[in-house]
Amino acid sequence: MNKNFIISGSGGQGILSIGSILANIFMLSGKFVSLCPCYGAEMRGGAVNCEINMSDREIYCVQNSKADIVVALNQTSFDKFISRVKENGTIIVNSSMAKIEKTRKDIQYIFAPLTQEAQKLGNIKITNSIALGILSKIIGNLNIDIVKEAYEKILKDKKELIQKNIEAYLVGLNYIQEGVV
Amino acid sequence: MTERELLKGNIAIAKASLIAGCECYFGYPITPQTEIGEYLSLEMQKRHLAYVCAESEIGAINMALGASAAGAKVMVSSSSCAVALMQETISYACADELPFVLVNVMRAGPGQGYIYPSQGDYNQATVGGGNGDYHTIVLSPSTVQECADLTYRAFYLSQKYRNPAIILADGLLGQMSESAVIKEYPYEEIDNSDWILNGASDRLSRNIHSLEPSQLKLNEHNVNLKRKYTLIENQEPMYEEYFCEDAEIIITAFGSMARYTKEVVNHYREKGIKLGLFRPITLYPFPYQQLRKLSYSAKLFVDIEMNLGQMLKDVQLSALSNVQTAFIGKPTGDWLKKEEITGVIDNLLKDKNANIR
Repeated sequence: MNKNFIISGSGGQGILSIGSILANIFMLSGKFVSLCPCYGAEMRGGAVNCEINMSDREIYCVQNSKADIVVALNQTSFDKFISRVKENGTIIVNSSMAKIEKTRKDIQYIFAPLTQEAQKLGNIKITNSIALGILSKIIGNLNIDIVKEAYEKILKDKKELIQKNIEAYLVGLNYIQEGVV
Repeated sequence: MTERELLKGNIAIAKASLIAGCECYFGYPITPQTEIGEYLSLEMQKRHLAYVCAESEIGAINMALGASAAGAKVMVSSSSCAVALMQETISYACADELPFVLVNVMRAGPGQGYIYPSQGDYNQATVGGGNGDYHTIVLSPSTVQECADLTYRAFYLSQKYRNPAIILADGLLGQMSESAVIKEYPYEEIDNSDWILNGASDRLSRNIHSLEPSQLKLNEHNVNLKRKYTLIENQEPMYEEYFCEDAEIIITAFGSMARYTKEVVNHYREKGIKLGLFRPITLYPFPYQQLRKLSYSAKLFVDIEMNLGQMLKDVQLSALSNVQTAFIGKPTGDWLKKEEITGVIDNLLKDKNANIR
């Protein structure tokens, strides 16, 4: 099995954090994995994205033109990466910060007001973890203990944030009802 | 120490340098290698080692020269246009036979260029921009694991041959993460007690200098250096062969470009086309003999680089006259896509269909 993902948004939205958590989840699950960040010369508020590759065998190509699943946390990244979703792939869009608009018929759209959902939990900084939860649901079969271990690894210097982020992750995981995507 | 971790190439180099026993780091921040200095600025302080963020790259490399003369294990890291500033001192270090490790995480040039990944410093590293008859050992990692393993090798070889060793990585490899294991340092420690300048209170005084007014002695020094380089050229070439045994077409590529081309090899092998990859790991010494052996059975070498054809001349030097060479490259930006490479190779195959495959 070989799958790749693009996570995109703006600087400060925690794009690289959830990219890194996802890559760690795959690594801890015994998969080969690569994580490629792309932030050019841009700064906080500028565009940020990263690509994660997961495979059962060694990964040679770490940058691909298309991805199986794309996460777009704002309008700019939605516009930029919609063309890079594979046929029959999925895009998860933060509809709090992007217009609900379906321009392609060959892919699956998931619109979720992630920023508002994070506000309900009391902190918009965990928007990214809700997105990761939804992404995990679509990937399927991710072991929750490994997810927790990955969060603990990445947030080891910010222990107070781990619980809140896992809570947000679980909200994301349960956001899509069984069988309805 | 043997735990599998998700690491950036830059961090793998930094971690490995500490395990290799690096005692002094000198550098100046420049994208895309800044994480090396950032990581070491914290870790070396904890270990009471010398970390200096120098006033300039010229300052950094000259500090390396001094610390090396005093017997310390030294590393400097930088990127392309800033490594260009260091060329004079690299020549001095070769003349003085002073070991240190220099990491160049390449960005795009020429001149200031930009922070996009590139492999544009092949010539700078293997040929060099300093004066005189000298060589630097050049190691080229293509995975994060190799970033760590070749850092060990760079320390070992530089100490063993008393010569600077360059780790030539690129912006993609420096910034990307993969799982890697930081192993134990696998090489023996080299005794340097017979040449370092560590105080002459209980021995005769020594000095290290490259100025040599005596023509006779200067000639002799050059010949001795040449003898050392010949030894390195005979002993130290490293390379990887991927599906080369029966290959009629050989792709040559180094660093992160080489890992990409493995997808291309797999693509053609699935179609039954006999194509393989030859990847030099040491760019100096270049594995000429090993590549030449492949030209007995191959008909075509396709060199693929993230520049406009720098390693190409070494590939051509290795090829016997019966082998054609072609080049595919792009100076910077996105990595060449598999389709871009197969497009060109498909055309080459059509042209040569009569005698290849």
